[in-house]
Amino acid sequence: MTELVQTLVLSLLVGGIYALVASGLTLIFGVMRVINIAHGAFLILGAFITYTLWDQLGLDPLVGVLVTTPVVFGLGWLIYRLLVRPIRHAPMSSTVLLTFGLALVTEGVMGEIWGNDSTSIRPSYVDQSFHLGGVFLPKAQVYGGLLAVVVLVALWLILTKTWLGRAIRAAAANPASAELVGIKVTSVAALVFGLGLAAAGAGGAITGVLYPFLPGSHYLWIARLLAIVVLGGLGSLEGAVLSALVFGIAETVTAVYVSPAWATAVPYAIVFFVLLIRPQGLLGTRLRDDAVTA
Amino acid sequence: MSATTAESAPSDPPKFDLIWVGRLIALVAGVLLVLYPILSDNLYYQNMIILSLVFAIAASGLSIITGLAGYVSLGQGAFIGLGGYTVGVLSTHHPDTNVWLWMPLAGVVAGGVALILGFVALRARGPSFVIITVAFLFLVQVIAINWRSLSGGTEGLSLPIPTWDPDIANWPFYYSLVGILVLQLLLAWWIRRTKLGTGLVAIREDETKAATIGINLPVEKMIGFVASAVLVGVGGGVYGYYLTFIDPRGMFNILLSVETMLALLVGGKATLWGPVLGAFIVEPLNEYANNNLGGGNTRLLLFGGLLVLIVLFLPQGVLPAIESLLNWLRTRGRAGLVGARIGTGGSLASLTERLSLVDREAASDPPPLLEVTDLRKAFGGLKAVDGASLVVPEGSITGLIGPNGSGKTTLFNLIDNTIHADGGQIRLAGERIDGLSSWARAHRGLGRTYQITRLFREMTVLENVVAAQRSFSWGQLGRIAVSGSEAKAAEELLEYVGMRAFRDQQARALSFGQQKLVELAQVLMLDPQLILLDEPAGGINPVLIDRMSEMIRELNSYGKTFLIVEHNMPFVLGLCDPVHVLGRGRTMASGTPAEIQKDPAVVDAYLGDDFVLEAAEAGQPNDVPQKASQT
Repeated sequence: MTELVQTLVLSLLVGGIYALVASGLTLIFGVMRVINIAHGAFLILGAFITYTLWDQLGLDPLVGVLVTTPVVFGLGWLIYRLLVRPIRHAPMSSTVLLTFGLALVTEGVMGEIWGNDSTSIRPSYVDQSFHLGGVFLPKAQVYGGLLAVVVLVALWLILTKTWLGRAIRAAAANPASAELVGIKVTSVAALVFGLGLAAAGAGGAITGVLYPFLPGSHYLWIARLLAIVVLGGLGSLEGAVLSALVFGIAETVTAVYVSPAWATAVPYAIVFFVLLIRPQGLLGTRLRDDAVTA
Repeated sequence: MSATTAESAPSDPPKFDLIWVGRLIALVAGVLLVLYPILSDNLYYQNMIILSLVFAIAASGLSIITGLAGYVSLGQGAFIGLGGYTVGVLSTHHPDTNVWLWMPLAGVVAGGVALILGFVALRARGPSFVIITVAFLFLVQVIAINWRSLSGGTEGLSLPIPTWDPDIANWPFYYSLVGILVLQLLLAWWIRRTKLGTGLVAIREDETKAATIGINLPVEKMIGFVASAVLVGVGGGVYGYYLTFIDPRGMFNILLSVETMLALLVGGKATLWGPVLGAFIVEPLNEYANNNLGGGNTRLLLFGGLLVLIVLFLPQGVLPAIESLLNWLRTRGRAGLVGARIGTGGSLASLTERLSLVDREAASDPPPLLEVTDLRKAFGGLKAVDGASLVVPEGSITGLIGPNGSGKTTLFNLIDNTIHADGGQIRLAGERIDGLSSWARAHRGLGRTYQITRLFREMTVLENVVAAQRSFSWGQLGRIAVSGSEAKAAEELLEYVGMRAFRDQQARALSFGQQKLVELAQVLMLDPQLILLDEPAGGINPVLIDRMSEMIRELNSYGKTFLIVEHNMPFVLGLCDPVHVLGRGRTMASGTPAEIQKDPAVVDAYLGDDFVLEAAEAGQPNDVPQKASQT
């Protein structure tokens, strides 16, 4: 029983981190219909930047979020301006190929800078735990999970309470009309791309403390993230958060109670079968692509 | 073919020469390829060519499903791996059998698995499909890693060492791959010329529309997927044997798929030779990066960078870029054909023997051809069509009018299953057709045009018309579409609508009115009993409106029944009888034009109380300015 409670609490904390990163991916899709295959690569990049800050300057990795997030945000803003914007009218499959290429380039660059060996960030508290009525909760997990929730809530507030958030939602609903009422859709889109990637960067800083990583880890991450957003319905923020929690629980429970050998297949299988049975995901609505009015 | 090229000859005489230049280059390259192992025993270059051949086969296969049908797949490498593993597993379990005997089985396995992927493509398209193909590849890889008893797991499999003369060690691999590539190219070439090929391109351009002109989506996509994988599997088998050692990380590496996709994109997606050219550009680059630039990360930078650059700067690929450059040089400073006058058209009788006049005097009370009963469709809380019922008598030109948003186009979409109805019945010639797919409805005699035309933009006018399939049969899919009887029938219809001179123009270059005419020809190619026209007179000039109503009358006299949505009141009221009025998703009135104009509910909801239409009654639709105000 204690083991189950511990597993559930841990998986909810992990789910919170997944939710943060996945919300960035689904936000980008919702606003600009771009599936950012490089999302996992930028998560790993966030982890490597955090690693260098911790290794060279002794900066606590969770404080490092304050540095990695703006850096990755700036990268995302630049990438949108330079690469994504020029092909915004191309078929969606083109942007998938583009961001896939971007993921490969990022993987290669990280391999050149940090090497292709497994890296881990180990601050002093990494081996310490909280004890609560027989339940052991590693401090890193607790801090990481809570930090993820804080960043996620901040993102949520930006989207729902600010003028920028309204502009983002207007640009997502109808770019042409948003332009007409004075929203600079290009600027908004660049901000969103930056914000989305920043979520990945922040997530990278946090997960870097929890799991070892290498440049090639991004495949696993993008599979996991796609499984989450696809399950929740592409473009749906609520769906992404919900399915991230479900996914976190499913993954942790599988790892604890079932063979871990097949566990790597879980995200791929979810993507494959969910898209097969319900292409719009769980909470997503099917796009009405034939909305001609007579 | 030759007769018609002569007619359109003035516009492009040098094209003929260019084709021969291209063919000459291909011939010389082919001869060099065949002779190379005989002339040189440089194993480094032989290896490079062998790997290029593998990717050329894979990319050419990919061109069928990605280039023609538009389903972008990053899982194509899986078929190389599946072919390799089929041969690897069989030859290690049966060490005494000649390894070459397993090659056809590699194709069968790849084709079988492709069928599964094709099944996926029945439901998912666009970016979802790309994601699925990546997931599919990784899933196959995980299975290969974990199914140790069959695949040997991560340790991989060692295939039997070739037993032939080491002096010609590479020859059997080299020449069998050349042979497979030739077969693959023949297959790709043949498919492009058939009804199947035009069907696949139509699916790429507009899948929903393709279904409404009779293209059986599941069957054609399935065939496309299998055709894109079988020979790739065989090639993968040869590749595995050539490597003599295979493991899941190598054979199901995502980079194999990326390289295949790159070869296709670099060369030109929808071209025959592009994938081959691309493979022979990308693979040598890959070898160079591996051997001279440190491999590993450099390879990632190369592939990733190339992918980004191609998508950004050369999305159409090298061969199409060269072609459009040559076209630009040739046509520079000349006026395009698109601005030319539309032909005056001809009478149907002089054009084709496929139609015969219908004597309609005999049946004074014609049976209903289309019967819609209590049809319903809601979008969320909005009831777009809310229990609409109407009857289209056989041989009539029936009108359907109503205010904007009253559900007219949605009703059309429900009738041809572009959108699934929530409830209600649709009968065509007495038979229930609700529950049938769009293409099955088209095969039963339903044709439909769109308010905003939906031609296949990247196809020529002629291809747009031949793409229509008026029935389904396996044999028909293999029929050559671009010449012969299919093309002749299409040209007759283009002549009729006055668009024959534009037959080789791309549809996207046409004006809106011209597109309306081509779309009509496309629908006529289905030889439908009932034609649904969505605003045939909308957005076109008055002369064309007259021609349109003339054609509708003539087609009607040859037995075609029409249901027309139109806001141009003189046009509708002069042409149609009966007329149905739709309001808030229901039929609010039906009757002759005279009755409709007097119906107080219709006047109130749609026509307006100052509506006067003398012209329609006088039978001269366009002499008097219309007034169709809405209040």
